[in-house]
Amino acid sequence: MKITFPHMGNIYLAAKALFDGLGVEYIIPPQNSKKALEIGSLYSPEEICLPFKIMIGNYIQAIEKGADTIILPGSCGPCRFGEYCEMQIMLLKRLGYNLDFIVIDAPTDIGIRELYRRLNKISSKSNKSINTKMKSIFDAIKVMNLIDEIEASVHNFAGHEKISGECKSILNNCKKDALNCNSPKEMIDLLMNYKEKTNHISLNINRNPLKIAIIGEIYTVIEPFANLYIEDKLMDFGVSTKRMLTPSWWVKNTALLPTKLNSLNIKKSSKKYLSLNIGGHARECIGEAVLVESDDFDGAIQIFPMGCMPEIVSKSILPKISKDKDFPIMSLVVDEMTGDAGYVTRIEAFIDLLERRRNNVLFRS
Amino acid sequence: MKIGIPKGLLYCKYYPFLQTFFSELDAEIITSDDTNKKILDEGVKYCVDEACLPIKIFHGHVSSIKDKCDIVVIPRIIQLRKREYICPKFCGLPEMVLNNIPNMPDAIIEPIYATNKIKLFNWATVAGKTISKDKFKIKKAFNNAMNAQHNHKTGIKDESYELNVALSGHPYNIYDNYVNMNVIRKLNKLGVGVVTEEYVEDKMIENEVKSLYKKPFWTFTRNNYGFTVNAMKRLNINGIIYISSFNCGIDSVTIELIKDKTKDYPFLILKVDEHTGEAGLDTRIEAFVDMLERRSLVENNISSHG
Repeated sequence: MKITFPHMGNIYLAAKALFDGLGVEYIIPPQNSKKALEIGSLYSPEEICLPFKIMIGNYIQAIEKGADTIILPGSCGPCRFGEYCEMQIMLLKRLGYNLDFIVIDAPTDIGIRELYRRLNKISSKSNKSINTKMKSIFDAIKVMNLIDEIEASVHNFAGHEKISGECKSILNNCKKDALNCNSPKEMIDLLMNYKEKTNHISLNINRNPLKIAIIGEIYTVIEPFANLYIEDKLMDFGVSTKRMLTPSWWVKNTALLPTKLNSLNIKKSSKKYLSLNIGGHARECIGEAVLVESDDFDGAIQIFPMGCMPEIVSKSILPKISKDKDFPIMSLVVDEMTGDAGYVTRIEAFIDLLERRRNNVLFRS
Repeated sequence: MKIGIPKGLLYCKYYPFLQTFFSELDAEIITSDDTNKKILDEGVKYCVDEACLPIKIFHGHVSSIKDKCDIVVIPRIIQLRKREYICPKFCGLPEMVLNNIPNMPDAIIEPIYATNKIKLFNWATVAGKTISKDKFKIKKAFNNAMNAQHNHKTGIKDESYELNVALSGHPYNIYDNYVNMNVIRKLNKLGVGVVTEEYVEDKMIENEVKSLYKKPFWTFTRNNYGFTVNAMKRLNINGIIYISSFNCGIDSVTIELIKDKTKDYPFLILKVDEHTGEAGLDTRIEAFVDMLERRSLVENNISSHG
């Protein structure tokens, strides 16, 4: 059994640590690229959203490398993501691949027994003791938290750095080196090292860079390929960015979900504009927009794939927030046809607008 | 007090309930006109670009009555069946409308969980409170409204036609004759009868849905998928027509699920949006009917591909 999984940001590092620890064979699909998207758009239904198409590309590229089992998290919310597994199973079957799909759904929807049976399919392939298995799960979570922390601080420092490009190169080297690690322990040590490094980036504290929050649909904000590397672009412009939706946030949020103690600050801040959970991460998007406004940010950029149902609702609410709080918010819609030049122009124009607002005498008076 | 009820979305299915409930509470009811060009234009003007046609039309309906009434009813229908939803846009409908249309009057935006009578009554108490303080009156109005809804039957089943098609899609696309450009009348004129999902038993739909890997969590997917697949096997029909609004997230899944079962059975998808030209629609329907006719003439329906 060779396990594979779809890409989403840096999740592949955590997955690598997990499967290395478990001693299960796995294949990391090649990094997302035009090729993966081309394969995906060729076979996927036309009107489905962008993440589906990229995922199909990932699967097929991984299958070509020998994978025969696919792990996919599920959901039973009103968003389309929950139906992905059904359609992807159907699609890959039609293409003639003989695969095993392991869909990790919430126990409230499929029953705890079924969830256990599905998880057992993976863990039975590992001959490690139960303690080692548990440890590798915790190691994987640690890796995920570390890489998310490194990424967050690098994005934050990008506006202050003295040597331009230092932040970006640290992050890129970190990812590259982490992929060459052979054991979870080695990877954790390496990430700790890099975390220490981020604390020693030489900073110009007197600079007051633009601060932009990235909000929107979780896959497109986390996966850099889907949002055309917006965070890298903003780092090049010397803009500090912040993104609250990360894989580690998602794990924490999902774990706390049954207790209803998850993301209390978002629930509180989104109450005025969207009081219910409507599926996807629309509520988080609204809540973050309100939160970052009070946190002295200059603006926010919302990103979502074409046709994303929950984000369409939040897109229609955001102008109201923008107007109420005098806070610029730009919405970017991405799909497989998004052209780089048009996209960059919009980002540049938005940054120009934010800079000019600062020079205005009335700014935050 | 004047209560405004927009004639958009699921009004076509649940109007007896809404009408009876509010008129029993002695409110004056103002409904918008049937969908027309003006309502569509208003909707397109106010609604966010990415939304689908039915949501845009709903915006138009609200905007056409907002100045004539004191309270607008915006039904935030979240669930009609247990563990199933309608659509994320339905859940956020009041927010979309209230944040996009200026000068809105008060609105009833309480979420509707219509999975059982008690939960639906919760909605009725909150909605009724805005009009009447009398609890018994609300209870009575609610019961009468429930009865009116039960006695109301929707659905079309044409007899006496040589050719028949199953007409599937979301109710607001099937029953809004402006959106679908009178597709039912057009089919009848061409000598084709129509059957809708109400004429397949719930049990049959349930059976079809069970064959899926995962139970669909949208009521529309469940109904449309169950109906079309079942109709194809059991009803005496010659083809399937599916009316879908452009950019509908739910239909993008449903249609794929259906296609997987129909294989080379005649299946026409009519996409509608605010630009749909009538001539193009006519051509497609005529071509489809021509094909059905020719298919029934060939004795054993063997496709030319062998």
